[in-house]
Amino acid sequence: MRRATLRGARIALLGALGLHSMLAPAAAGATPVSITARTVAGLPVAGLIVILDPLDAPPPPAVHPHAVIDQVHKHFVPRVTVVRTGTAITLPNSDQIRHQVYSFSPAKTFNLKLYAGSPAVDVVFDKPGLVVLGCNIHDTMVAFVGVVDTPFFGTVSDSGELTLEVPAGRYRVRLWHPALSAATAPAEITVSAQTLSLPITLSLDTERETVAPWP
Amino acid sequence: MALRTRIAVTFLLLLGAVLAAALTAVSIANRSNAEREARRQLEVGALVFTRLLDSNQRLLTQAARAVADDYGFREAVAARDTATLASALENSGARIGAALVVLTSLDGEVLAASGSHLSPGARFPGAIRHTHASEQAPQMMVEDGRIYQVVTVAVRSPLPVARISMGFALDESAARELSSLTGLGGPLSVRATSGWQPLVSTRPNGESASTDVAVRRLTLSDIGHDEVVATLSRSLADARAPFARLTNTLILIGSLSMVGFAWAAFWIARNITQPLQDLTRSVDRIRAGDYEVALAMHRPDELGVLADGLEHMQRAVQLRDRSIRRLAYEDTLTGLMNRTAFGGALESALERTGRTGRHERPERTGRDERHERPEPPHERPLAVARINLDRFRRINEHLGYAVGDEVLRTIAERLKGLAAAPLAAARLAGDQFAVLAELEVAADLAPWGAALLDALAAPASVDSQPIDLSMTVGLALAAKDTGADALLQRADLAVERARRAKRPLAIYEDGLAPAARDQLSLLGELRHALEHGELQLYFQPKLELATGRVCGAEVLLRWQHPTRGLLAPAAFIPFAEQTGFLRRMTRWTLERAIGQAAQWYRAGRPLALAVNIGADDLTDERLDSRIAQLLTVHQLPPALLTLELTESGFIDDAERALRMLDALRTLGVKLSIDDFGTGYSSLSLLARMPVQEVKIDRSFVQALESDPEFLAVVRSAIDMGHNLGLAVVAEGIETASSAERLRALHCDVGQGYLYAQPLPLAELDQWLLGRERVPVIAVPVSFRVEDLGDTVSLATY
Repeated sequence: MRRATLRGARIALLGALGLHSMLAPAAAGATPVSITARTVAGLPVAGLIVILDPLDAPPPPAVHPHAVIDQVHKHFVPRVTVVRTGTAITLPNSDQIRHQVYSFSPAKTFNLKLYAGSPAVDVVFDKPGLVVLGCNIHDTMVAFVGVVDTPFFGTVSDSGELTLEVPAGRYRVRLWHPALSAATAPAEITVSAQTLSLPITLSLDTERETVAPWP
Repeated sequence: MALRTRIAVTFLLLLGAVLAAALTAVSIANRSNAEREARRQLEVGALVFTRLLDSNQRLLTQAARAVADDYGFREAVAARDTATLASALENSGARIGAALVVLTSLDGEVLAASGSHLSPGARFPGAIRHTHASEQAPQMMVEDGRIYQVVTVAVRSPLPVARISMGFALDESAARELSSLTGLGGPLSVRATSGWQPLVSTRPNGESASTDVAVRRLTLSDIGHDEVVATLSRSLADARAPFARLTNTLILIGSLSMVGFAWAAFWIARNITQPLQDLTRSVDRIRAGDYEVALAMHRPDELGVLADGLEHMQRAVQLRDRSIRRLAYEDTLTGLMNRTAFGGALESALERTGRTGRHERPERTGRDERHERPEPPHERPLAVARINLDRFRRINEHLGYAVGDEVLRTIAERLKGLAAAPLAAARLAGDQFAVLAELEVAADLAPWGAALLDALAAPASVDSQPIDLSMTVGLALAAKDTGADALLQRADLAVERARRAKRPLAIYEDGLAPAARDQLSLLGELRHALEHGELQLYFQPKLELATGRVCGAEVLLRWQHPTRGLLAPAAFIPFAEQTGFLRRMTRWTLERAIGQAAQWYRAGRPLALAVNIGADDLTDERLDSRIAQLLTVHQLPPALLTLELTESGFIDDAERALRMLDALRTLGVKLSIDDFGTGYSSLSLLARMPVQEVKIDRSFVQALESDPEFLAVVRSAIDMGHNLGLAVVAEGIETASSAERLRALHCDVGQGYLYAQPLPLAELDQWLLGRERVPVIAVPVSFRVEDLGDTVSLATY
């Protein structure tokens, strides 16, 4: 899988941070979970999606979920997006040429016929799972949208670090990267009042034909 | 082998070898060229084959991609709409004629397939590896016993979710099409290495028809366990075909050139050997003795040089031959023929005439033939004359050999210059010549001989010195069946006859011949007799008629012939005279008689002996010397020797005879004339002869018996003798009465059967016993005589 462009990564990060700030009211009692993602060789793994599904209580509902995935220079930007179930994503076409965006993923199957500029409608992702977007004309345009039921998720930075503030409790850890091959991480964590360090060692297979399965 | 054949065969073999070498080289080159060409074509074919497969691959890829990228198809894939998928696959396959179109999951599970036996859920191993890079080798797949060229592409939505494999079936028609595109003409077969049988072959039974192929194997990678191998083949025979044509053309050219060359070689060889054969024939001619025919070969080349050399040689040989002939057949001194040549001329003349009995005219011109009547055979007689010079030795001895040669040359010139040119003239030997002539008639013989004699006998002048020539000519006429030798012999006998008859010319008559053989044998016997003591001295006593005292004896020869008995002189003396043997006999007789007389003299009983001397003996110029020598050797008083001479000795050359008599007289021997009265001597001659006695011939004495009138003749003879101062002896007294008469006529001495027949020595001794003898007082005289080495052999002329 192709590396996310730097720009896409920053936007993804900002988006993740933005989402996180929308959830600010439960600031009191939010414990940071310090996540470090490294390869076996010790190199930081940027772009890893970490999802924490609360096990104790159902997650708080999403508020005005909305995302944007732009099409710039025959690329989806951001390449990887994680949204709460029910999020409507706008897919503007910033290119001079038209694109036809589609997905055959079972989580969301849609087809935006050739358009330029703003699409007629937003696409609402209302089922959890992985949705792979592609352009009918351009085989190389791929975007991943991970639809989750929890507000607690983030993308590892370029330095291989991610901090998530979560209330204390038990959480299921889900990792995903398009090129994920194997990961060593606890399946569950219990967050207490203290900062939790969550080191993750994983290996990527950039050559893999198919995308890693959604956890 | 003949030179011509050898030349031609050698060159033909050479040419053949060269052509064979060239053909072999060309064949080898052709073969390698053909093979190289075939392999090159195979390479090209392989390249084409590969390119065809590549283009197939591109086509398949494009078609597969077209359907894989189709949104609707991707939609159907996502929806797992099997039916739609299958029909879409079929459609896309039909577009390009791909027999195999299969949609599989990423694991190789068949999701949909067009028209093939593959049903969803089956395994499709062909999709494990998919086409990515364009450099990859064409993918082959063996599926259900069939070969497919397969391409696999991914179906992206947008990530690969499935694969489409599309493939062409490589069946026989496809193989044939491929094969024809490669242009190889040879069968194409494709087989999997696991099995021997080709899965596809342009040959129905899949076997290669001939082994004479070049083969290129292409390994096509396989999506499976086997390797798929395509075999392209190119018939080498086909590849060689154009070269074979070249070879055949070469063979044709070679054969034609061999034929042409053979002809040319034979022609050229003949051009060489033909003149050589001509030259060989010329050499054969020369060898056979024909030097006349010119070679007439003028060529500028080496053969011409050879021909010229041969011609020069021929001429040289011709000249040498002529000079040899001249030496062989010519008498160098005189230029006449020699004996051999004359014999040859005689023989060829005889052949022309006598032997054949028919005479052909030597010259016959063409125009006479028309007028010729058939002539009766008509012989022109052939005559041979032998000419012997008389006293030639005397000329040589007295005048010198140079003069003698000149004399011979003169005679030769006279012969050459004869008015009637003879057929041949020759000098046989020494002073003997022969002439062969053709007479008109046989009667011309004697005149011709006389003419010869006339022409030749004139005096010769040598160094302005006149020399008398006299010769004896004997003539013979060729008769039927006379050979050349016989003819010459007859002429010789004629010469002898002439000599005997004291004539210059004589003609052979048949009567002479028969005795010849006898005589020749007699001569041999005579020699033998002389050498072996068959000749004996007999003595007939002579008595004084008045007193009856023995006064001497005549020595007579007897020949004790082994078969004929005792022969009297008459049987052989004439013959001896003819053959010239007489002189030898006389010498012998003289020696024996003188020896015997000397013996008696020394014994004290001297008896005078009388020896007969012939005419031939008188011509012996050494006679006096011989007698002198004998007298000296035996120490006999000359007075005891009497020589009885015949009158015939004086006919020939009286002067010479007289000179000899004088010489003998000076020796002191007594001389007596024998057969007095029967010869032709003249009285004047008789007066001049220094003789002491005459002997009256027995015929007179015998006539005295019967004819009283003869008495007067006898008396006259006796008186004449006495008047000349000679003693008279009568021989042949047989009766006492004739003895009485003779005594009455005052004949001095008598001799005859009345007293004694000729007696051999022993009997004479016996007879002499008791007989009174006339006393003799004489003394031997020695004469100084030069050594008489007498080498003259008495041969017949």
